[in-house]
Amino acid sequence: MPDVVLSWKLARREMRSGLSGFRIFFLCLVLGVASIAGIESLSAAFLTGLAEHGRTLLGGDIAVGLVHRPATAAERAFLEGYGRVSESVSMRAMAYAMRGDQAQERQLVELRAVDGSYPLFGAVSLSPAGSLARNLTCDAELCGAIAEQTLLDRLHLGLGGTVRIGTQKFRIAAVLGREPDRIAGGFSLGPHILISTDALPRTGLIQLGSLINYGYRIAFARDVPLDRFRRAAVAAFPDAGWEIRTRNNAAPGIRTFVEQVTMFLTLVGLTALAVGGVGAGQAVQAFLDRKRDEIATLKSLGADGAVIFLLFFMQVMAIALGAVLFGLALGAVIPFLVQFFFGADLPAPAHFAIYPRPLVFAAIFGLFSAIAFAVPPLARAREITPASLFRDIVAPAKRTARIPYIAGAVGAGAVVIGLALYLAPSPRFAEEFLGGAIAILFALRMIAVLLRLALKRAPRLKRPELRLALANLARPGAATAGVITALGLGLTLLATVALLDSTISAQVKDSLPETAPSFFFVDIQPDQASVFDATIHRFRTASAYRRTPMIRGRIVSLRGVAAKDAKVASDAKWALAGDRGITYAAGRPDDAKITEGSWWPANYAGPTLISFDAELARGMGLKVGDTMTLNVLGREIEGRIANLRDVNFRSGRQNFILILSPGLIDKAPHTFLATVRVDPAEEEALYRAVTDRFPNVSAVRVKDAIAEVNTLLQELAFGVRAASLVTIIAGLLVLAGAIAAGARARLYDATVLKVVGATRAWLAGVFMLEYGLLGVLTGALGLGAGTLAAYLVSREIFDVPFAFDLTAAILTVFGGAAVTLLFGLVGAWTALAARPARQLRAP
Amino acid sequence: MQRPAPLVILKDVHLTLSSAAGAVNILSGVSLDIGPGEAVALLGPSGSGKSSLLMVAAGLESVTSGEVVLSGKEITRLGEDALARFRRSKVGIVFQSFHLIPTMTALENVAVPLELAGKKNAFNRAKAELDAVGLSHRVDHYPSQLSGGEQQRVALARAMAPEPAVLFADEPTGNLDTATGEEIANLLFALRARSRTTLFLVTHEESLARRCGRIIRLKDGRIVADEPHLALAKA
Repeated sequence: MPDVVLSWKLARREMRSGLSGFRIFFLCLVLGVASIAGIESLSAAFLTGLAEHGRTLLGGDIAVGLVHRPATAAERAFLEGYGRVSESVSMRAMAYAMRGDQAQERQLVELRAVDGSYPLFGAVSLSPAGSLARNLTCDAELCGAIAEQTLLDRLHLGLGGTVRIGTQKFRIAAVLGREPDRIAGGFSLGPHILISTDALPRTGLIQLGSLINYGYRIAFARDVPLDRFRRAAVAAFPDAGWEIRTRNNAAPGIRTFVEQVTMFLTLVGLTALAVGGVGAGQAVQAFLDRKRDEIATLKSLGADGAVIFLLFFMQVMAIALGAVLFGLALGAVIPFLVQFFFGADLPAPAHFAIYPRPLVFAAIFGLFSAIAFAVPPLARAREITPASLFRDIVAPAKRTARIPYIAGAVGAGAVVIGLALYLAPSPRFAEEFLGGAIAILFALRMIAVLLRLALKRAPRLKRPELRLALANLARPGAATAGVITALGLGLTLLATVALLDSTISAQVKDSLPETAPSFFFVDIQPDQASVFDATIHRFRTASAYRRTPMIRGRIVSLRGVAAKDAKVASDAKWALAGDRGITYAAGRPDDAKITEGSWWPANYAGPTLISFDAELARGMGLKVGDTMTLNVLGREIEGRIANLRDVNFRSGRQNFILILSPGLIDKAPHTFLATVRVDPAEEEALYRAVTDRFPNVSAVRVKDAIAEVNTLLQELAFGVRAASLVTIIAGLLVLAGAIAAGARARLYDATVLKVVGATRAWLAGVFMLEYGLLGVLTGALGLGAGTLAAYLVSREIFDVPFAFDLTAAILTVFGGAAVTLLFGLVGAWTALAARPARQLRAP
Repeated sequence: MQRPAPLVILKDVHLTLSSAAGAVNILSGVSLDIGPGEAVALLGPSGSGKSSLLMVAAGLESVTSGEVVLSGKEITRLGEDALARFRRSKVGIVFQSFHLIPTMTALENVAVPLELAGKKNAFNRAKAELDAVGLSHRVDHYPSQLSGGEQQRVALARAMAPEPAVLFADEPTGNLDTATGEEIANLLFALRARSRTTLFLVTHEESLARRCGRIIRLKDGRIVADEPHLALAKA
């Protein structure tokens, strides 16, 4: 193809003179590619780390979990047939600081009892260092325990101090640093404490129906395919009801979290790329504007449109390639920087290396974004006619790009979107995010076009400063469209994130006190029930007291189809992932909102009927009359759905997705869950009264749990806000680029105005008005679009009432205005400072 | 003796351009023939449509109505790219503002039309053309390193390099001082004489126009006079 060769020759000649007009183009691409490459590389480092350390994180090749009961002798023998087995028992309990015989401070703890084989892989870090087994030994009276420093701080104890758990006293022998398999354990409501399995029975906490998790880790003696073990275990003990996890998916929760966060941050990176793309498109346009005469000259010499397009396309892509390579290099370094600065504090193991796959994806994102945004101006430049050498300034020709080029640009955009969707673990979220971003980008562009039209047709204003400022916003080549679109999209994302953060914080903080109880009490034994009720009723302000039977069980089949094989919507999968709390009731609970079907008669004694969460039923494709099988304490119970209920998890009250009719389930060993609301003044007394009288009952302060969740949310929100700043930086680059592109015209205008008598202060006033108006408008548009997006996300995805936050709103609008004004004035400084005579003498 | 077929034919050419202030008639029914080897000067006051007529004749601008035949080919209905390809070998153009490509050396500027036309020895020929305009010592200089007169010499070399059938020159001395303008005019006519290329020269200088064999006068987009220059005609 001679055109390609010739175009390349011409392009090379062109590039010799430097590519100074492409700084912003280069930086925008570098920023977008580096952020995506960095995020994806970091994610790969964590996912590889999780996979490589699967055995340590899980604590074995296989982990088998049972709720409520230990493994039977036959089950244990089966497990031991595969290799060494370590048993651990986990539960929530209350720990009491003992001073003499007096129980003082108390704290909910995550108690874990481990045997002598623990840990099979990795090591528990202790301070002072020592043998775990020796630290946990018991004598006639006392047992050893190791606890996290947080527990010691809260109980005001030091090493050697004594705590009581249940009926057994423990001496704190060491401080617990890191449990190798903790990450696989999930969310903690209290500090961790380790004791030995020998000590556990002495606590008196092992009672029928108590919420106790038994875990068995196996270190395979020989290599056995994990799937074969799983099949053999299910075949040998079909009713065991055990949950089997394998080393290749040791921490599914963490893995999912990493994947979801990666997806969100990649989408943020793509938004930055889109914002930068607007700037890149503008940079290309500005570059081609400067080359207009050259293009027309080449055409007059016989260059056809294809040569012109290729000549400049090759230059643009050469720069894009350079930017992508530079961005990839930066992105690849990010994980190593994270390792350098945060290596010791990382919550999960990571394998830091250069991962080619994320870099390839980031390169594709970068190059195709560059094509999508650069082709339209290049295609328009292709249509420049030689006649423009003579008269384009007076009567600029209207040039529209040809359809194949537009199709090419759209195709490149489709590659970017398609790849983003392909990579996203939740394509629906990615679709909505990208759809929203594109819609907002398009809407902002339209607003910018309409604004320019409106300004052109606006009546002439009397105040010359305002007239000139508005004229500057509307004139050809003005920064208006780019700034509104690019910075507007960045501010939209920031406003969306800020408003969603405030909405969720408001939901967690403000909406709970009205409906939520002050305490949850777990593991009340049936024989303690009446005394427990009396203890609560002694408190004058105690209200909304409710004590409900609770048993753990999991859903194993839906309409006869095994749960793992059933087609279930992604937002309903969690309910099948493990054990859930189940209750039973003869009569309909007061707050049950039945949406379909009816409650069973109060004296019903037939086969098991089920009242199920309506939304989950939708996700699982279930309706009234369908069957469902539950595994409770190893026994399968089949029931038929009698009704569906709206369950409001935000009410803070007891919420059971499964309520069964009595008759069979009530014979199973169970405990009670109680909730009560009490005035803050009586909170501490009630807490003490219950925990003094019932050492086996775990008391969860709702406000403590909320604070714990809130801290997590705040950390997450901070990270998300920080990530969103990337788009703002991209927006600012576009702003800087747009201002730089208009600098020559501004200098010319300023020179002429100074000649006719304008002072620098007057000109500065005009520029301030121009950029101030543009900034306020962009901020307001970003806030408007961000509010709409946050409203839709909170209503449609999070299903929480939207809470508008005035501080976030003000920060968005004025932040946008301030940076636009600042950049604008810095950009206009040359024009203000220039001496007219020098400019007039310049060629 | 039979008169050779005209090289440039314009038949009832109209050109109307739209502008912010409304449609403007630039050319109103212009017809003319230019024979091979002729040197034609187009004279007229500013705004009479001289440059537009040159653009139309050179295939740089599409007409609103009428017909343009250049070197035996009717170019009126050719598309943008077809016109560009046609110009490569048939047309040479010299502009008042030189319009050299600033990122290319003098040599590369002259070689471009040859390269576009797919000529294999583009650079050798370009070098020869620069020699012919007296710039063999400036081949590797960029336009910004050349004086106005030198830039216009490069532009002349570039226009002549593909051995065009017609050389169009739009006020070629308009941006130069009198002495340099004189030098460029001499060079232009010398090159034309050597190659016997047809010349279509737009100027507002009577003295320059008188060096052509025929003078066409334009006013308000119409030809008001079309006569052989007496001195040359008699010669």
